[in-house]
Amino acid sequence: MTTPATRLTVNGRPAVLGDVPTGERLLDTLRWRLGLKGTKEGCRTGGCGACTVLVDGQSALSCLLLTHEVDQASVTTIEGIADDPVGARVRAAFDSAGALQCGYCTPGFVMALTGLLRERGRSIPLEELLEDLGGNLCRCTGYATIVRAAQLAREGAP
Amino acid sequence: MTGSMRPDSTAKLAGSVVYGTDLDVPGMLWGALVLAPLAHGRIRSVDLAPARALPGVIAISSADVAGLVDGAHGDPERPPFPSEFITYRNQPVAAVAAPTRELARAAARAVRVLADPLPVTADLEAVFPEWPASKVVDPQLVATHVHARRGDVDRAFRSAETVVAETYRTASVHQVALEPHACVAEVTAGQWRVQSSTQSPFGVREDTASILGIPEESIVVDGTWVGGGFGGKGASFLEPYALLLARASGRPVRLALTYREEFLLGRTTLPAVFRLETAVTGGEIVARRVRLLLDVGTSLPGRDFATGYSIGFLLGPYRTPTFEVEGYAVRTNKPPFGPHRAPFAPQAAFVAESHLEHVARVIGVDPLEFKARHLWREGDRTPFGQPILAFGLSQAFESARATAGRWRKEAPSGHGVGVAVGFWSTNTGAGGEARVQLTPTELRIVQGEREIGSGSVLVGLAEVAARRSGLPRDRVHVEYQDTAHAPYDAGVYGSRTVGALGRAVDRAVADLLGVLARRLGVTGPVTLGVEDNEIVALHGSTHRKLAELLNEQERSGGGIVAEGKHYGKGGEIDESLVLDGAFYPYTDFTGAAHVAEVAVDRETATVRLIRYAAFHDAGVVVDPRTATAQVEGGVAMGLGTALTEEAIWSDEARLENAGLVDYRIPTLGEVPPIEVHFVEGFLGAGPFGAKGLGEPPIIPVPAAVAAAVRDACGAHVTDLPLSPERLARALKLL
Amino acid sequence: MAAVEIVTPMTSDDAVATLQASAPGEAVVLAGGTDLLFDLEEGRTAPRRVISLRRLPWRTLDWNGPTLTIGSTLPLRTVENDSDVRARIPGLYEAVRAVGSVALRHQATMGGNLGRCAPASDLVPMLLALDAEVDLVGPAGERRLTVDQFVIGSRSTALQRGELIRSVRIPEARPSAYVWQRVRPFHDISHMAVAVAFSPSRSRWRVAISGFPPRPILAPATEDALHGPVPDESALGHAAEALARHAPIVADKRASEEYRRQLVRPLLIRAVHSVVPPPGAP
Repeated sequence: MTTPATRLTVNGRPAVLGDVPTGERLLDTLRWRLGLKGTKEGCRTGGCGACTVLVDGQSALSCLLLTHEVDQASVTTIEGIADDPVGARVRAAFDSAGALQCGYCTPGFVMALTGLLRERGRSIPLEELLEDLGGNLCRCTGYATIVRAAQLAREGAP
Repeated sequence: MTGSMRPDSTAKLAGSVVYGTDLDVPGMLWGALVLAPLAHGRIRSVDLAPARALPGVIAISSADVAGLVDGAHGDPERPPFPSEFITYRNQPVAAVAAPTRELARAAARAVRVLADPLPVTADLEAVFPEWPASKVVDPQLVATHVHARRGDVDRAFRSAETVVAETYRTASVHQVALEPHACVAEVTAGQWRVQSSTQSPFGVREDTASILGIPEESIVVDGTWVGGGFGGKGASFLEPYALLLARASGRPVRLALTYREEFLLGRTTLPAVFRLETAVTGGEIVARRVRLLLDVGTSLPGRDFATGYSIGFLLGPYRTPTFEVEGYAVRTNKPPFGPHRAPFAPQAAFVAESHLEHVARVIGVDPLEFKARHLWREGDRTPFGQPILAFGLSQAFESARATAGRWRKEAPSGHGVGVAVGFWSTNTGAGGEARVQLTPTELRIVQGEREIGSGSVLVGLAEVAARRSGLPRDRVHVEYQDTAHAPYDAGVYGSRTVGALGRAVDRAVADLLGVLARRLGVTGPVTLGVEDNEIVALHGSTHRKLAELLNEQERSGGGIVAEGKHYGKGGEIDESLVLDGAFYPYTDFTGAAHVAEVAVDRETATVRLIRYAAFHDAGVVVDPRTATAQVEGGVAMGLGTALTEEAIWSDEARLENAGLVDYRIPTLGEVPPIEVHFVEGFLGAGPFGAKGLGEPPIIPVPAAVAAAVRDACGAHVTDLPLSPERLARALKLL
Repeated sequence: MAAVEIVTPMTSDDAVATLQASAPGEAVVLAGGTDLLFDLEEGRTAPRRVISLRRLPWRTLDWNGPTLTIGSTLPLRTVENDSDVRARIPGLYEAVRAVGSVALRHQATMGGNLGRCAPASDLVPMLLALDAEVDLVGPAGERRLTVDQFVIGSRSTALQRGELIRSVRIPEARPSAYVWQRVRPFHDISHMAVAVAFSPSRSRWRVAISGFPPRPILAPATEDALHGPVPDESALGHAAEALARHAPIVADKRASEEYRRQLVRPLLIRAVHSVVPPPGAP
């Protein structure tokens, strides 16, 4: 079964999706219907964070969201995050800290960190910020450079 | 973006890099594997009809393969699908392709596999109940036996002052790359083409040709960006199935594993049991005996490299004139053993280091002092007679000892500090080739490997070329081409990229500079520089624009081309020591010494990492940032092996924890600050003296953590992982 | 799942009616979706109809004096971000923070967690210690149960056919703490946990333990042994040992019985000390 035209705003632009099967996940709508492959497919069960996007400004696990359930929402992915000043700063922090190796977890981390800093800004204690990133897994970096990127991004936040 | 340390940083941060899971080819079907429902059985039937009844579904199994490869004969020991016996649970027995992911899953579920159950072998020690083994329960289950001896071991043990004997057990661990295996295959006009997330495109080509029986020349492997490999993507896996489905359907077919299937089908390190005996007199080791029992799953006899390779690591980097080693690889109904990062070396180092520490404590000598007495020095030979050259482990060890001494003084109560060493043989023997092209604006390296994350390809190779030529790094670009166009390379594994492929690049650049020298009419070294945004050739006071040195063809055709190859020779061991089986000679030694500080909560038996220091004998560090990153990443992965990672197998060879919920890899909060130090000057075989760093950082980690835990609370744990339950038992809390 | 029907009622009456009209097992309720989509991906369930609660006016958080009422479809992150919750019911804040990850908590809900009723739920033991109640709405109208009455076992609650959880009511903000034990600090399942709360109105401690099947439980004997707002250290120790010995703890794939029993004493003592620092503590 499909739903009546599901409407999303994705990275600031309206995306009328037409016939989206009811069981389709936001992750798959973004990647296979809209061609936005930057959001990654990892475990598909909410355990790795690679699929993290922003829905109405807040981080969400797109593998655990039915597209139908976010009808009318505004979704931001890694492809659009540079348009957000916090997101742009987070990306720059990752770049200068060299906080990536294979890069597969990177979009998820950037989105998660952007969501957190948008919410709390510099006022979030660093320890809490790092705890809050605990839902994103990385197997390559050992997190050291990611922690540095988070510190840099937080320092630069309002 | 400015300030990028890596050429791939911008694209990865923009989400524009295409990994295997991102591949999207017009007309593509979605593939899925049909997995065997039991661990051991004789196949009665594989009924594809219910799957084929679904709209748009293609289904294939063993009977279809011959027709799909036009009667070619693949390796009879490695058919894509079994025709007679199922030998591990979830073994692929058929494959389907369908227009959507959901339909493919439904089709896979619809296939009816009927098999008569056979007895399941799951437990290594049930097959092998006696130590030392004079008989096993079923000799057919022994895949490999290796045995070597030097000296009169029995007499040395009989006459020794003290003999310490211990048994250790280590668990199965998975690579857990974030990206599951994925590929897209297409077969058109006799060309079998597959795009795949792999560490070794040429390896996949060779392997696929062997499995399907078709000529290598008709296979093209195009590697995608890889979302983590760690040994799990070093050989072919899904590609043969995807190609068969593509041939059967006439369409491109995407085949990827679900994350659950990554665990269920994963080819990786399996459980192992170790028995170590050490004879000591007057504070010196006089003889050692090591026995190794490895579960190799469904591996074919003689085809697991693990046994003859791992056993040397159990003696550790220590002088051992009189010894006996014996190893058995035992087959169980689990997936075939496959390489994990530094296969078995972290487990072996944990065992070797913990045992020697224990021996020291038994005889009343300080463990680090005891180890220092026996540690390899330059000029020593390994137990198997290999010369130890350019080896900086003793320096690394002394630095680690000093750090540990300082940390121990500063550590509050409840904390412990431990030191452990490890060594590795970097696989520079496996060959590689590269082509370089020099134009007036850039030096391009054309080669056949994708960047899997470490930076060894995009940064390491570029750095080698930059150093050899004198060009700034931003003028050197590494280009990837598929197996139809790129020169051959063995693969990104075994810590060999900079050492082996890098040497091919180095030679190619040297060759190029030689060409320029001839054109300049000089003898002696020519280097390259940049003036007014153009590349210039330099020799003494001479400098000429490269554009002026090119001929007509080169000017229009992409510059001066040069090629380089490196095919090293493998090492040699003293074969007179070998009583049975094959031992893998080590080459190009590198060592490391690590220090861990932990806090142990004695009530909950939990271990928390406080800080960590890694000292690595890295030869010449070609790029400090990516080298440091490798150490940081390897240590974190080792912490998982040390404390939380364990694949739990049931008596029926069923994997109980096939998912990230119960197979726990380290999260951000568990990795402590890591100091990284490089001991330089012991020049490795790689260009400019580089030594591989992809694997060494994981090796000493479980041993260092175990040593720190012992220092903190006295518990001597002989199992990995050092889980809270095991520590609680060792602390006699339970 | 592609062919499933999704219904999104606007009122609770519609939601109840739709649920009741579905045959048993035919329909599932979708709140945050974090458990449901996990089960769907793993192939554990294949419903014909999904009843989405997202349009219902149940995303509420209301303080009324000491009483807190949380709508069942309110994302947990909103509970966590409420500064009054953190200040006045610290144990609830800690329990909510223990659930999954931040991104997950933007979706996951109180109602979903209670409905899933996992033996290792982080919220249930804390709600037990807070004497929380669930307000249910169904074909026969509304009814209220204590959480203790509501929770039966894994995926098993006192919900009757056609009933939904509308809200969770915490009658009294209490000094409280939630202390858990896991293999990993973040994003892991607690294999043992202790929730404690001190009720000012009853001048009595409430203690719940969890992590093992079939369900989190209250520990009345332990509560009896802790007299007054500042328990005597020796009584606390003895009560902890007794609880460790007598609690109906069993093994499962995550931890053995003996190891869980070993954890009870340190976790209980730490939980109580988190609310009332021990004498001599800084």
